Amino acid sequence: MLTVIIFLPLAGALAALALWHKPKICRWMSFSVSIADLLLVASLSFGGLRTGSAGSWLLLEDHAWMESLGVRYSLGLDGISYLLIFLTALLGALSVLVSWKQIEEKVGLFHFFLLAMQAGVMGVFLATDLFLFYLFWELQLIPMFFIIGIWGHAGRIFATVKFVMFSIAGSLLMLVALVALYILRGHATGHYTFSLFMLTGFPLSKTAELLIFSAFLLAFAIKIPVFPVHTWLPDAHTEAPTAGSVILAGLLLKTGAYALLRFAFPLFPNAARASVPVLITAGLIGLFYASWIAFAQRDMKRLVAYSSIAHMGLILIGLAVWNSITVSGAVLQMINHGITTSAMFILVGMLDERTRTRDLAEMGGIWGQMPIFSAFFLLFAMSSIGLPGLNNFIGEILILVGAFATHPGAAMIAFGGMVVTLVYLLRLVQETLYGEPRSEFPAMWDITGREAAILVPLALAVLVIGFYPGPVLDLMQGPINSIVGGGIGRIAALP
Amino acid sequence: MAADWMILLPYIFLAGGGLFIFCAAILRPDASGLYFAIALASVVLAGIAAVFHPPGINFGGMIDAGGYARFFAVLVCVVSSFTLLLSLRYAEKKGIAGDEYFALILFAALGMCLSAGATNWIVFFLGLELLSISLYVLIGSSHDEPASNEAALKYFIMGSVASGFFTFGVALLFTATGSLNIADSLSNVQAGVSALALFGLSLIATGIGFKVSIVPFHLWTPDVYQGAPAPITAFLSTGSKAALFAALLRFSLVMSPELFSYMTPVFWGLAAITMIVGNITALAQTHIKRLLAYSSIAQMGYVLMALLTVRHDGGASVMFYLAAYALMDLGAFGTVALLSRGGSDIDTLQDYQGIGYSNPWASALLAVCLLSLAGLPPTAGFIGKIIIFKSVVGAGFIYLAITGIVTAIISVYFYLNIIVTMFMRPEKVPVDLAFRVDPLGVALSGCILTAVILLGVLPSPLLSLIERVLYSFRI
Repeated sequence: MLTVIIFLPLAGALAALALWHKPKICRWMSFSVSIADLLLVASLSFGGLRTGSAGSWLLLEDHAWMESLGVRYSLGLDGISYLLIFLTALLGALSVLVSWKQIEEKVGLFHFFLLAMQAGVMGVFLATDLFLFYLFWELQLIPMFFIIGIWGHAGRIFATVKFVMFSIAGSLLMLVALVALYILRGHATGHYTFSLFMLTGFPLSKTAELLIFSAFLLAFAIKIPVFPVHTWLPDAHTEAPTAGSVILAGLLLKTGAYALLRFAFPLFPNAARASVPVLITAGLIGLFYASWIAFAQRDMKRLVAYSSIAHMGLILIGLAVWNSITVSGAVLQMINHGITTSAMFILVGMLDERTRTRDLAEMGGIWGQMPIFSAFFLLFAMSSIGLPGLNNFIGEILILVGAFATHPGAAMIAFGGMVVTLVYLLRLVQETLYGEPRSEFPAMWDITGREAAILVPLALAVLVIGFYPGPVLDLMQGPINSIVGGGIGRIAALP
Repeated sequence: MAADWMILLPYIFLAGGGLFIFCAAILRPDASGLYFAIALASVVLAGIAAVFHPPGINFGGMIDAGGYARFFAVLVCVVSSFTLLLSLRYAEKKGIAGDEYFALILFAALGMCLSAGATNWIVFFLGLELLSISLYVLIGSSHDEPASNEAALKYFIMGSVASGFFTFGVALLFTATGSLNIADSLSNVQAGVSALALFGLSLIATGIGFKVSIVPFHLWTPDVYQGAPAPITAFLSTGSKAALFAALLRFSLVMSPELFSYMTPVFWGLAAITMIVGNITALAQTHIKRLLAYSSIAQMGYVLMALLTVRHDGGASVMFYLAAYALMDLGAFGTVALLSRGGSDIDTLQDYQGIGYSNPWASALLAVCLLSLAGLPPTAGFIGKIIIFKSVVGAGFIYLAITGIVTAIISVYFYLNIIVTMFMRPEKVPVDLAFRVDPLGVALSGCILTAVILLGVLPSPLLSLIERVLYSFRI
């Protein structure tokens, strides 16, 4: 089942390549494939996902793969990964819709990369074998390289090469660390394996643990991105087509945070504990510094990109504090950020399609011209600010409250950071929606049916999570308790 | 005795095919299609013969007939048949198709099989010279192009010097140990390693280092790769390197531990400097063939790094990487051959602008091969790299592994640069007017592409085959 969920998009990707010369059919095919995948994911929840039984793993798959290397094809689904693959399937389908009009050239190739990336991200969220995880980790990168590089804006080549070089530098160092971990355990026990379950709890010497953890941390920090290694993100976002930004912000950044939670912290608990102050500091700096820079941006997409870094800073704090409340908040915030920031990128992209500019100085008075669009814009901006009753509020409050118990200083500073968020987002809203129109745009039309189909599900998600987060939190509670508690979940289903 | 001769069947097919082409050329001059057919048939037959070898261990103490030699014989036959297929249209377009072109590919393949399978220094030398002399001529086969002639001359002079080093080294080793048998002479250096034997071995290593272009013996590589016709470059960079590394691996496997411990620091230094120089110099290249030349130098550094660990499990890493490397470099240089019209090969980076859309299959092949050379999944190169790093880290060469990974990160940049040029820069020639690869070329691209990805996703069959081959070698 999990295999089908991962490889259905990949099959769709190959089909898209075959439909190279028929853009229209290709779009419909890609859309139906991604919807089918979404339905598949949704259908999982009828199979007893909410039983709340003691075990945190809901579905496991395990097959022999490369015997001589000790690599197994093993996938696992728990509440956390369920939420994230649901998000993946949802954003995957929306990305196809978003690109309906924006991508006119090389349509088949575009959908090939889009669907292949979706498969890669799904794989990252489901893999429980580190080798398999690494494979998917790289597999999501290459399609994004092409999507930014081929369909991006003017500075796309520089941006995409920078993005890939940052990511590869991190991931190749992680690969060496991974191999080192594999060798160390293999030498010690005589059994070579990449399995997360078997590698967890393997005692390492202090230096080895710290070195290997640092390599993992670097790779994930680049992806999240954490403060000093974040510089690829604004470039990549600014140059990417809207669908690229949606996937990048909504999913690829999540894989970094997810990997930290699923792999880096449980595998190296001592090193992780030692690095908590560093991580919290980096998260706080990211929160303030990115907000500060966001405030100075004239390009709307860059502004949203920096706001994305700021939000990820808060998620990092939530993960670093490492108690079940903050981690719940962080995971919820990963979902929320995926919804809200994607929506912001989509809205900016829609505005760009109409006005051909993203310069804040030329905006203004949009509300008068496009009221429905503006209502959505306001809703998602408010959600991003963390207005009570909307989704981000819940996640942020969980992180702050949870952190207050053990790190009151950091929690207070982080709260200050949220106020800063308020400032630049309000400015974005004010300069865009209100005031007098500052430029004459020839054609302004309000939301079309297709665009409504994109925005309505996201808006519903914002409201539902904001008012009734219970089911979502329940779903992640079990796995978070067991991960934070030092275990890695029940693995009874494993041979 | 009949079975003994059957052992030589692959060699007989290759040599016989070459001679047959020359004979056919007397009766039917200018029938290049016929020569091609004979050559392809001989290579395929030789490959089949190597797979279904009658069991035998050794031919007269001269040629290994075990799994190890057969593995490389099959690899050489695969490489040669792809070279022939790539050459078919290419050689016609350039007007270099003739009896000598196809026959010499067979002789070079024979030389490669001999040097990979030799258990005696004299036989190894025969193989080495056979492959070198055939390649001298093949490299210079575009008579009208100065670059091709220059490349041939350069390779000839460098190659002769290297052969000189090698021969002298063998002579010294023979003096020191009194044996021309490779295994005996390398393992029987007892009662302390004699200086004479060490000196001889260094000269042998130098000679082979030239041929497989290890830094600092690599200077001929870019010029020769650039000047030679593209299919021959593919052949040279894959077949001859695989065969000579096979020999180097054999030497390392049979070497006495004391002797190997003397060679370890040498290999360590050479591997590190080869990876560094190869990858960094490649950054500055603006011509694809030169860039790929430096990349292939760097790749040899990775193999050399794995060679250090033969005492652990490095043998399998070397063999797997050589097979993967042969495929991906064949694909990379093969694309250059496929995309070239008559005249000189397309070579500057600008020539590749937008080629991704006029020739999707060929450029997909090049892109996948480049990603594979860069070591990204899901390709053969990725599995190859991960196995090598597993051996190297496992054997405790941490600093070398880190050097390897840092240079690999650097290398990603220039590999990506080619992909960027092919797919992301504006087309130089409108897609409708651009040159298109013929159907055979498309089929070949698809074939190599599938192989590179398949080996990256399902490496287990090849890995277990290699394990078995190495197991039989040790006995």
